[in-house]
Amino acid sequence: MTETSSPPAAARAASTGDRSATLYRLLRQTGVLAALVLLIIVSSFLNDRFLSVPNLMNVLRQVSIVGILAVGMTFVILTKGIDLSVGSILGVSVVLFAGLLETQSMAVAIPLGILAAMALGLVNGLGVAFAGIPPFIMTLGMLSFARGLAFIYTGGTPIPILNENFYDLGNGYTFGVPNPTLILIATLLVSGVVLALTPFGRSVYSIGSNEDASRLSGVPVGLYKTIVYVISGGVAGIAGLVYASQLSVGTPIAGQAYELDAIAAVVVGGTSLFGGKGSVAGTFIGTLIIGVLANILNLTGVDPFVQQLFKGALIVVAVFIMARSSRA
Amino acid sequence: MTDELLQAQALRKQFGNNVVLRDVDLSVGRGEVHAIVGENGAGKSTLIKILGGVHRADGGTMKLEGRELILNSPQAALDQGIVVIHQELSLAPDLTTEENIFLGHFPRNALGLLDRRRMRERTRELLDRLSIEIDPTVPVGQLSIAQQQMIEIAKAISVEAKMLVLDEPTAVLDANRVDTLFDLVERLKAQGIGIVFISHHLEEIFRIADRVTVLRDGERTGTSDVSAIDQDWLVSKMIGREFEAHHTQARGMGEVALELEELSSEGAFENVSFSVRAGEIVGLAGLIGAGRTEVAQAIFGVRPHSSGQMKVFGRPTRFSGPGAAKRQGIAYVSEDRKAFGLLPNRPVRENATISNLARFRSLGLLRLDRERAFVREQIEQLDIRLPSMQAEISTLSGGNQQKVLLGRALAGRPRVLIFDEPTRGVDIGAKREIYRFIEELAEDGVAIIVISSEMEEVLRLSDRVLVMRGGRVAAELPRGEATEESVMRAASLD
Repeated sequence: MTETSSPPAAARAASTGDRSATLYRLLRQTGVLAALVLLIIVSSFLNDRFLSVPNLMNVLRQVSIVGILAVGMTFVILTKGIDLSVGSILGVSVVLFAGLLETQSMAVAIPLGILAAMALGLVNGLGVAFAGIPPFIMTLGMLSFARGLAFIYTGGTPIPILNENFYDLGNGYTFGVPNPTLILIATLLVSGVVLALTPFGRSVYSIGSNEDASRLSGVPVGLYKTIVYVISGGVAGIAGLVYASQLSVGTPIAGQAYELDAIAAVVVGGTSLFGGKGSVAGTFIGTLIIGVLANILNLTGVDPFVQQLFKGALIVVAVFIMARSSRA
Repeated sequence: MTDELLQAQALRKQFGNNVVLRDVDLSVGRGEVHAIVGENGAGKSTLIKILGGVHRADGGTMKLEGRELILNSPQAALDQGIVVIHQELSLAPDLTTEENIFLGHFPRNALGLLDRRRMRERTRELLDRLSIEIDPTVPVGQLSIAQQQMIEIAKAISVEAKMLVLDEPTAVLDANRVDTLFDLVERLKAQGIGIVFISHHLEEIFRIADRVTVLRDGERTGTSDVSAIDQDWLVSKMIGREFEAHHTQARGMGEVALELEELSSEGAFENVSFSVRAGEIVGLAGLIGAGRTEVAQAIFGVRPHSSGQMKVFGRPTRFSGPGAAKRQGIAYVSEDRKAFGLLPNRPVRENATISNLARFRSLGLLRLDRERAFVREQIEQLDIRLPSMQAEISTLSGGNQQKVLLGRALAGRPRVLIFDEPTRGVDIGAKREIYRFIEELAEDGVAIIVISSEMEEVLRLSDRVLVMRGGRVAAELPRGEATEESVMRAASLD
């Protein structure tokens, strides 16, 4: 086909243009990263012990549970949803691990506990995707319901875990890195690949960006939204594994209010509550920012009550700055 | 010459190194309608944003009634009596007409409480003055788009607007409503209000405007009294060359690709029968509300049909949803880009391929290199102008957004394509490209249905025109018989 009238000066996408856009995106992400680096530099001046390897490993271990939860939460928030029930689902998995380990091997107890967590996530997903219940309400209901299950299962008393092999998951080290941190990193890597490189992951973003347009494009919106809550539930189960192992006891109050910490990590990491924008890498950085802040406040002996103020302010300021920078 | 209301001189605006407005002059007189035309990206939106106080000009001066005008914010523009009416209306749908009109400056009684009686009286007065017939006590969400637009204009008048900027007000209206809007504009003129009117429909310029300014690539290429010029002048100023006439060649047509037999959907349309052959373009004309979009939705599987049959390449089919329709080779480009098309905060690349990611998948993972190659090809073929395929689609002009969505429809290699208002809110240059593109698809053997409220578009593209009225097919006109008159008659007369 010969074009007799192709418009003048069509600035087509040159590969250089692509590269500069990628750079720009990188800069946006490094904005959060820069904040983390700055925090680390300031912290290292505030306290000598901060930059020591044991302390940094300590931070990594401490953020693991919330960090893992936040990865699952990222999926949900990217679809413009929210999952308030992850703390309670974690609680259910913790008491199940403890209960099952009384009679079963780890090879049975671990998969069953995680499957149960996924099943609760499935209920969330079906409620949101097919019954049309708003995510906030559906998962608020599950927050209470799952916590109730945990209490009923234990009769209100914690179940001790006596299987010593199980302790290693939450307390051991591999190649000098705490096991919970390795579990967090594995969760991050798998999630990162799924979000960036699978049709499902791509659709998670598109659903959050415009659900109707996604549906018209043939994206199985209902199915994928359901899966997102199953992932969040399953990931809460994995976090529960670390929790149960670290405490070596199945307490029905495990993970209370953790959902809020997970949401905080996600939003500090730059994922938009309005959906369609964000990444698990950002969430990881957000998790670290919150973790490092808590650590340096501890090291410098700031009153725990005052620490709460810092955390609260951090969340609001972070989101404020991001809202500003994305408008510019 | 009318007496001057607004005088802008040498307005200049740049974003980074990109100069989007270069020394543009504009003057608007009292009671004058000054139209601004130009292709997408010509600088119209920037100019409007400067007038509305959203952007500050980097250079140039503005005077309102002879006094220096400095607009630091949209509020400042409002305070000066300059009101911009955007295509996307900004009414609160759950509030009534009167509440919307007085939102922000509710009349109060002696106790400081809302004075509902006075609000109603003043609303009635205002609506009477503008001859708008609307029940002021109904929530505006229940009114038509056309009515809502009028309320927005009435609202502007209620705050003593001196100048109104109407940004493509007719894009969302069908022919009858356009008439009503223009009547209203005439009345506003008579009251001495200056009007800046943006439209992609050139014939509207000749109907309503006194003067016209043409922008191209951020520069003013011409200003003239409308009485002194013709369409060709406008088009040549807009695109910088002469407009070539369109020639249609007959296309070869293949087998019947899609056939509807007595298809009905409760409350939307009844007994609709027609067929489309491979390589044929069938136009679906009619007024807004005639049931055209609903038929498309039923074909595509997003609206249930209660009776009748549909055949795709001879096989009786019933789609459970868009996914199923897509697998059978049917694609649909929605009339409402914003609501049903764009993934606003995602890059162009992802917008273009979301409809068929499976095409780029290997071993469960997306091959981004293949995806990029496909998108690059689409950009080339559709001549999409954009900084990068990583740019968020919302940063593109309307015409380029639409082209990306056409690319999306093509990603599924469709055999039947339904275009619903394919050039809405698209400039004349992009429009011609989209037409040619649709024709090329037909030449490649794709069966095409074009739903359009624009007469010229239907007549230009269609091998056959189906006119719908009140949910039924009122007429079927082959190319030779389809004229503006015959289509209009079938669409609006009983």
